[in-house]
Amino acid sequence: MKPVSKRRKGPRDPLLWFGAVFMVFLVFLAMFGPTVREKQLSSISKHQPYTSVYDDIADPFQSRSATFPFGTDSQGRDNLARIAAGARISLTVGLIVEIIALVVGVTVGVLGVFAPRWIASAVMRLTDAMFAFPDILLAILIIGIIQTSKAQIPGGKLAPVIAALGVTSWPSIARLVRAQVATLKDREFVVAAKATGASTFYNVTRHILPQLAGILLAIAMIDIAGTILAESTLSFLGIGVQAPEPSWGSMINNARENMNSYPAQLIAPCLFLSLTCFALNFVGDGLRSYFDPKSTSR
Amino acid sequence: MLNSASVRLAKPILLRLTFGVLSLFFISLVTFFAAALTPGDAATAIAGDKATPETVARIRHEMGLDRPWPIRYVKFVVDAGHGDFGKSYFGTREDVGSVVRRTLPLTVKTATLAIIIASFVGILLGTLAAVYQHRVADRSVLVFSTLGVTIPNFVLAPLLVYVFSMRLGWLPLIWTTDMTASEFYYLVLPVLLLASRPMALITRLTRAMMIDTFQQEFIRTATAKGVPRGRLIFRHALRNAILPVITTIGTSFGFLLTGSFVIERYFVMPGLGSTTIEAIQKGDMPVIQAGILITGAMFIMLNLLVDILLPILDPRIRESQI
Repeated sequence: MKPVSKRRKGPRDPLLWFGAVFMVFLVFLAMFGPTVREKQLSSISKHQPYTSVYDDIADPFQSRSATFPFGTDSQGRDNLARIAAGARISLTVGLIVEIIALVVGVTVGVLGVFAPRWIASAVMRLTDAMFAFPDILLAILIIGIIQTSKAQIPGGKLAPVIAALGVTSWPSIARLVRAQVATLKDREFVVAAKATGASTFYNVTRHILPQLAGILLAIAMIDIAGTILAESTLSFLGIGVQAPEPSWGSMINNARENMNSYPAQLIAPCLFLSLTCFALNFVGDGLRSYFDPKSTSR
Repeated sequence: MLNSASVRLAKPILLRLTFGVLSLFFISLVTFFAAALTPGDAATAIAGDKATPETVARIRHEMGLDRPWPIRYVKFVVDAGHGDFGKSYFGTREDVGSVVRRTLPLTVKTATLAIIIASFVGILLGTLAAVYQHRVADRSVLVFSTLGVTIPNFVLAPLLVYVFSMRLGWLPLIWTTDMTASEFYYLVLPVLLLASRPMALITRLTRAMMIDTFQQEFIRTATAKGVPRGRLIFRHALRNAILPVITTIGTSFGFLLTGSFVIERYFVMPGLGSTTIEAIQKGDMPVIQAGILITGAMFIMLNLLVDILLPILDPRIRESQI
């Protein structure tokens, strides 16, 4: 008889692994892409020192070649370097917004269960009101406020987008956490811990929240895909990440303006944006059915 | 006359109405404070660049802009209810109400056409996939609906424009004011693009609900009694499976109105969405307020309508809510 392995098997879903490999590739591209392109191209650049993301390197609208795998854009800049820098922007925004969403969402969700009744219901009504409202509309309004007031938000060029998406990101997590915590708090192991004198804080942080880590990780992946899409949408509309910063959304918008003559310009940013969203959704769905086999994809 | 049935109907509807009013209150408060948080108001816009602070203060007093914010908020809501959003800060200082009247019909028309197409095609494809579960038809419908949910509009748009406008030359590239063909040709691509995502969502949900319904006993009974297949699918199964789909149609329609921001911008259509985005780039707060408030209010009202419609359509929901 074969010995039964004690170790839990890892997820088998091939789509999950495809997604994970693509995301690792994207992270490396984002981290090292622009610098590597600088090293490769600085010998043929008329700009010294050469920054691959902002400086022109050749004639505009070069098509694919060995030197420029994605060609050059309307200002003669290297498309590959800008795609890599766009990945950097998308991942940064996605990650920071998701951290905000998790911190606020988990706090609000736990408060919704354990806080005094009037605080809990006030907080959850606010969550419901925000959840019932299209995120992108609220984000557009927040960007509108920031742009109209020309306020200098600390934190650089990405700050307005991160602020707008951060404010709208947490309600779905708060609702999930609240529902889960409400059922978990009456489970035997929590009640037992309470009986032995564990405080509510200890119970929540040591017993309840660790139970949720897996499913929150899965949801976070899907939410990051949504955030990256929202950031691209805002940048596409011209109110997100501002030029000369290269967001995939604004690259698609630029390429669209020259679509009549150079349709191939659209391929790279569209492909990278779609693949990233696919990959994150695959990873999220795969992780969710791994951590929570009962649930099916939504 | 109040009988028990109407009381049972009234309670959930009242609850939903309260929640809808609260949501409207929330969105109006947010848009009101959007203007309060930003420098510059109607008074500075009227006074012009060269005005002294005293002139601005006088105009502000005449317009009641120096009164406490609760009073200004009530005035803002009452005016908005009458379709009065003030005047644009820029250009000819057009009345924002007339901007809305000029741009809103196109947005609503596009969204309505899109949701009608999405509902019909989505329910049909979803039913088809459920009937032929696990076969080629089902698989391909699933793949396409997954793509439809994940691919963003502004990635799909250039693809369709490239194929249908540039290669085949069947449809115009963008919206123009001097239309050479009938408006229908100009609307095809925007409507299809807007419809793609709700169509995918409706397809997936219809498929899931139909598969669920097919396993229930009344379907087996009906099959045993010899009910014809078409009648079984559309009269027996679909009528039971359709209610969650109606909810999705309602929420999708709301999201379509906001999705029009992207599509209108892509095709340079003179709708409310593209107007709002332009206003953000200029910093034209009254137009931004009107755009957000109207789109948001329509979204809330539509969801409210669906929520109220459901317990009327389905007695099971009525029972469960008491």
